[in-house]
Amino acid sequence: MTASSTPARLSMTRVLLCGAAIVTLSMGVRHGFGLWLQPVTMDRGWTRETFAFAMAVQNLTWGVAGLFAGMVADRFGAFRVLLAGGVIYAGGLALMAVATTPWAFMASAGVLLGIAQAGTTYAVVYGVIGRNIAPEKRSWAMGVAAAAGSFGQFLMVPVENGLIGSIGWQSALFALGAAALLIVPLAFGLREPGFAGGQAKPQQSIMAALREALAYPSFQLLMAGYFVCGFQVVFIGVHMPSYLKDHGLTPDVATTALALIGLFNIVGTYTAGSLGQRVQKRYILSSIYALRSLVIVVFLSVPLTPWSVYLFASAMGLLWLSTVPPTNATVAQIFGVQYLSMLGGFVFLSHQVGSFLGVWLGGKLYDATGSYDVVWWIAVALGIFAAIVNLPVRERAIVRAAPVAA
Amino acid sequence: MKPVSAFRVALWLVALVLLLAVFALYLQPDLAMTLANQLWNCF
Repeated sequence: MTASSTPARLSMTRVLLCGAAIVTLSMGVRHGFGLWLQPVTMDRGWTRETFAFAMAVQNLTWGVAGLFAGMVADRFGAFRVLLAGGVIYAGGLALMAVATTPWAFMASAGVLLGIAQAGTTYAVVYGVIGRNIAPEKRSWAMGVAAAAGSFGQFLMVPVENGLIGSIGWQSALFALGAAALLIVPLAFGLREPGFAGGQAKPQQSIMAALREALAYPSFQLLMAGYFVCGFQVVFIGVHMPSYLKDHGLTPDVATTALALIGLFNIVGTYTAGSLGQRVQKRYILSSIYALRSLVIVVFLSVPLTPWSVYLFASAMGLLWLSTVPPTNATVAQIFGVQYLSMLGGFVFLSHQVGSFLGVWLGGKLYDATGSYDVVWWIAVALGIFAAIVNLPVRERAIVRAAPVAA
Repeated sequence: MKPVSAFRVALWLVALVLLLAVFALYLQPDLAMTLANQLWNCF
């Protein structure tokens, strides 16, 4: 094979260092946005709903824009998307700091930052990992990147709290904007020679790839599983403190639980990625969802004490984002890496829809029934459903008909 | 089985210390209260 027909690959060290640093920043910066709720609403005289609405818009925009970010990354290279994403991230944070009307806040904190996250998080970086790291190391590498994102989330919350306390909420946003700009030089580390100057020659069109994936039962099953992941994680994340408060536990128990989830999430994502090299990924995913249901059932069955909360948080932390590496690695294994970012964006959209329903149903059913019991059991049932639907996923590469010569 | 190099062990130890240091930050009382009141709102 000639050098011209095989694009040069980036080194694994380079991809992992730059990719992990980008995901650490992009996932970390957004994770502490809740810390701005009080200072922003007090300073601007807005309601909490204004702030929460912008965050809801951000999450939905992240999901929808992820599809397009993935398409552009697959067609023109992740480098360009990361570059734009880094600049939009910085601009969005700066505009969030100076927004004086609810609409301007929604446009910056909601729309711009949602687009920025779509362009700088897992789906785009996983495309580079998929194309440049050999299949026998790919799942592990995705685990490393996911663990880096988890570490960013874990690290940035206390850092952002310290920034707000020491320099004020507006300056803290500008400081984060400067940090987000670091994504720009890091993106150069993920510049793929095969994409430079638009030399890529797709063998399958984007729409054909999309039609193929959406009609493929295993892809539908992976999307169903990821929907459940979003539902469970965000329901627990958002409603857990209220649940603990209703049962008479002090706020520091909720915070320690959050820290334990963050800590064990890093271990879980790395381990799931590493295991993906040795064990069939459908078994890993099925086990994760089954274990989530089991952990919730045990948590609901034992007396609620600080220690039962800590054990629950540690176990859920191990299972928190551990679905990310095996899900994306399975997509790469089945469909190849040409449209990995776009297809990753599609499964992530399913995750975000689940997240939205987890938050919304949690509140809705709490208001209707006066407790979280029904939603907890829905989360258990969905976990069992996801465990079952991941079992028949076929991990083998899809067989395509050879193109007929003209 | 391949022997584990000293460099690898040191790397894992550094990672462990770093994670525990960040975990310790969460246990500061003022951060605990702030997080309990705010962070979960936008998880």
